[in-house]
Amino acid sequence: MAPAVTMRSNRVFVVLLVLLFSFCQSFVGGTKEYQRKLIVSVNPNATTLPPGGDLLHVRAVGNDDTLHFLFCSQGAPTLLIVHTNSSTSSVQVNWPQFLSRNVSGGLRVEPQSSIQYSIAVVFSRLLEYDDVNDTAKPDSGFFPPYELQNFKWTRLQLFGAAALVCGKTPEFVNGSLCLKLSVFDSDGRAESWPRLLHSPNSSQLEVWLDGITTQAPNSRFLLELQAVGGDFPLSRVDVRQFIDDEFTPSIFKVSEWVSPAAGGSDVLGYVQWKPVAYRQSSPALEDATPCRYSDPQSQDANATAASSALIRAFFSAHNVTGLNVSFGLAGEPFYNSTKFLSWTVLVGVGAPPVDTFSPIVLTIMAVGLGIPVILLLLGGVFVCIHKRRQGATAAYQSIN
Amino acid sequence: MADFEEQQNLLEEDDESSSGERGSASGADRQMSAICDPSRALHRVVVLTFMCFLGFGSYFCYDNPAALQTQVIQDLNLNTAKFMQLYAWYSWPNVVLCFFGGFLLDRVFGIRLGTIIFSLFVCVGQVIFAAGAWLDLFWLMEVGRFVFGIGGESLAVAQNTYAVNWFKGKELNLVFGLQLSMARLGSTVNMNIMGWVYNKVAAAVGSPGYYTLGASLMIAAVTCVFSLICALVLGFLDKRAERILHKEQGKTGEVIKLTDVKDFPLTLWLIFIICVGYYVAIFPFIGLGQVFFIEKFNFSPAEARAVNSIVYIISAPASPVLGFMVDKTGRNVVWVITAVVATLAAHVMLAFTFWNPWIAMSLLGVSYSLLACALWPMVAFVVPEHQLGTAYGFMQSIQNLGLALIAMAAGAILDSRGYLVLEVFFCACICIALIAVVMLYFVDYVKGGDLNQSAAARAKVQKEATSDAEAKRRPSKQTQGDLARLAPMSAFSLRNRYLSRLGAQLPDHCSTHLSSLAYRSVLK
Repeated sequence: MAPAVTMRSNRVFVVLLVLLFSFCQSFVGGTKEYQRKLIVSVNPNATTLPPGGDLLHVRAVGNDDTLHFLFCSQGAPTLLIVHTNSSTSSVQVNWPQFLSRNVSGGLRVEPQSSIQYSIAVVFSRLLEYDDVNDTAKPDSGFFPPYELQNFKWTRLQLFGAAALVCGKTPEFVNGSLCLKLSVFDSDGRAESWPRLLHSPNSSQLEVWLDGITTQAPNSRFLLELQAVGGDFPLSRVDVRQFIDDEFTPSIFKVSEWVSPAAGGSDVLGYVQWKPVAYRQSSPALEDATPCRYSDPQSQDANATAASSALIRAFFSAHNVTGLNVSFGLAGEPFYNSTKFLSWTVLVGVGAPPVDTFSPIVLTIMAVGLGIPVILLLLGGVFVCIHKRRQGATAAYQSIN
Repeated sequence: MADFEEQQNLLEEDDESSSGERGSASGADRQMSAICDPSRALHRVVVLTFMCFLGFGSYFCYDNPAALQTQVIQDLNLNTAKFMQLYAWYSWPNVVLCFFGGFLLDRVFGIRLGTIIFSLFVCVGQVIFAAGAWLDLFWLMEVGRFVFGIGGESLAVAQNTYAVNWFKGKELNLVFGLQLSMARLGSTVNMNIMGWVYNKVAAAVGSPGYYTLGASLMIAAVTCVFSLICALVLGFLDKRAERILHKEQGKTGEVIKLTDVKDFPLTLWLIFIICVGYYVAIFPFIGLGQVFFIEKFNFSPAEARAVNSIVYIISAPASPVLGFMVDKTGRNVVWVITAVVATLAAHVMLAFTFWNPWIAMSLLGVSYSLLACALWPMVAFVVPEHQLGTAYGFMQSIQNLGLALIAMAAGAILDSRGYLVLEVFFCACICIALIAVVMLYFVDYVKGGDLNQSAAARAKVQKEATSDAEAKRRPSKQTQGDLARLAPMSAFSLRNRYLSRLGAQLPDHCSTHLSSLAYRSVLK
């Protein structure tokens, strides 16, 4: 019996080794280390400080292409990403035209022919509704929406490749809605939850509602996002499931609002988020609250252009789709329990990053499964030797 | 052997008393109906009912935190690590109490008073737990779980001792099976009902909160009161039976000598490792299971509770069937390997795939029952009879120690790293058990393969033992009475001791407390 066991366990061991190596390769060695050089400037070529809001321009220069990240709080806060196939492209701002918000052309990317793809995300409205029965169904009980284009925005605060801007409105009393944009030069993962995986082709926006005085004790919030896609609008939301929740405990899904290429399988640009929002600024597992989204729908392109200076300045003809992200489920605590809500979203061009296992998980599984197999092998060999040795000496017959 | 002779005396007294009753006043027969006559089967069925419900309250309330996990965490503002403390505090007293349970029941309290006292602990513990929730005092809830733990495990020992005392021979297996099923029924009912109870109370009170939680737990304490009533009734019936039948109070028969630990063979230590490594991947997992199924597999809370309880539902019918199978085929080590590998497969399925968790949890339920039926009797095969109490006490003690520590570790891991790392951690624990059982297989093989004998081989050895026992019994009768303890050991008893070391199964009437101990922890 022992030799058969050894043979079988040999085969199993080989299969396991092969599996392990292919596992490692596909998850660890797949991505190439790609870096961009970041050049940050605020209000480029402006003679005076523009009233109402700043314009942030980050040039992320790669080997043979450039990504221009533009973030502006003139009107509704907008993030615009332009992908050009030349490493020497630049952004020209005609400040009087830009600030007048009447005609397009105030912001140009030169040379125009090098533009491959552009995507913009506008945070247009914050909606509040009274969830009297704790059903978390945003059907009724809406208070007048807060138009983010009417907020009073602070000056942009720079922290390296990250920028922070906060807005207030009189209804908030002491509270504010803040946005923090981070641009990255290499692959990595954010430090704080939900620890989204980012690449040099993406930027991360954190939105948080801090200290807002709500209109009702049982208020819940919805955030309206609009995406401007030019020729290829963001038309559908893909929900991907994955088994590893190591970096965002208890979240196994990621939602991606993508603009599919003609053909359907490739993705040109994306807005990616995990369906979780946090009720504390340094959250623990129990501070997580789920969030849902509505289906993307077409929006009025003129209204969007009127609300955001950046959209008006850059886009001449564009398609706008929008969706609502609602925070909270039935039974979850309301905003008033902590007066804080934060949500993170990743905006980028190309295909969205895919989460991988961490080495710890792989190591533990390999060690845990490998040792018994090795023991089986060793034990089988030992038993074989033992039997052979026993067989060599004269066998004593048992008496009864 | 002293036990055998004692049993002989009891049987003779039984005959005497029943014949005496028949012979003397025939009015005695007319006064007691079948249901009131302790020597008749119908009365024993009544006693069996009370015995089964004795443990119901304790098993119902043990898993209350798991059934109400979301509510406990939300209403009291806990994190998962603190939530798992509720399970850790249940296990801490049993690290020490496992050694003293038998002693307390035999020498200090007696079985009747002991059962009532432990039931009282269970009841009071659950009430303190509920009061802690009512007043939003987490430390009070931990105290309640501690008191509950003092009573819980020892109550299982008492329940077993009652069973052994009232039912002998072939009936005993059926009784243990029924007790196990009732225990599992309690756990299952708890999992599926407590959520509904909480919602009803929340509707009545107006809003969820720690008041609602405290009230729901108080309602759960009613089952403990019910068990306490059963304990009182059982005590009364047992005392009455003792008076009518002139039989002694049951004893667990355990003798604990801690110095025996140095004599434990390597195989026994490997069995301990298997026990700890396996159970720490089952009970803390069920404790945290509900939210896992809600988050990962998008189950509704009611569905998640149902799939969490499937392990208990399956183990209720599966344990007697699998126990029968293991008894018939022997080869315990192979069955333990099967059970451990199946559990590892189930955890890997839950961790790395999105397959329907009903499959994995059903597999977990079957393998859990199989391991319980195959592992605990192995202790009786490697340890001589007089050390059996110590061995089982040790096994339960380190099992509880492992459960307490790993429960806290599991909560901390979940808070910081999420469910995948937690599942990988559980897989690692099972792998430790797998390593131990593979080593056990080889160590046992080299030593002659006693643990892994087929049932036929074991029966053959046992037959030889009894035929020798029959031949030697007559001369030993002359040394009855007090002198029997002072006389040197006869060849008969020497041979029995040797055979018990080999693992020959002695017939039930030779050692009643042996069968009691063998099934004692199938309830876990």
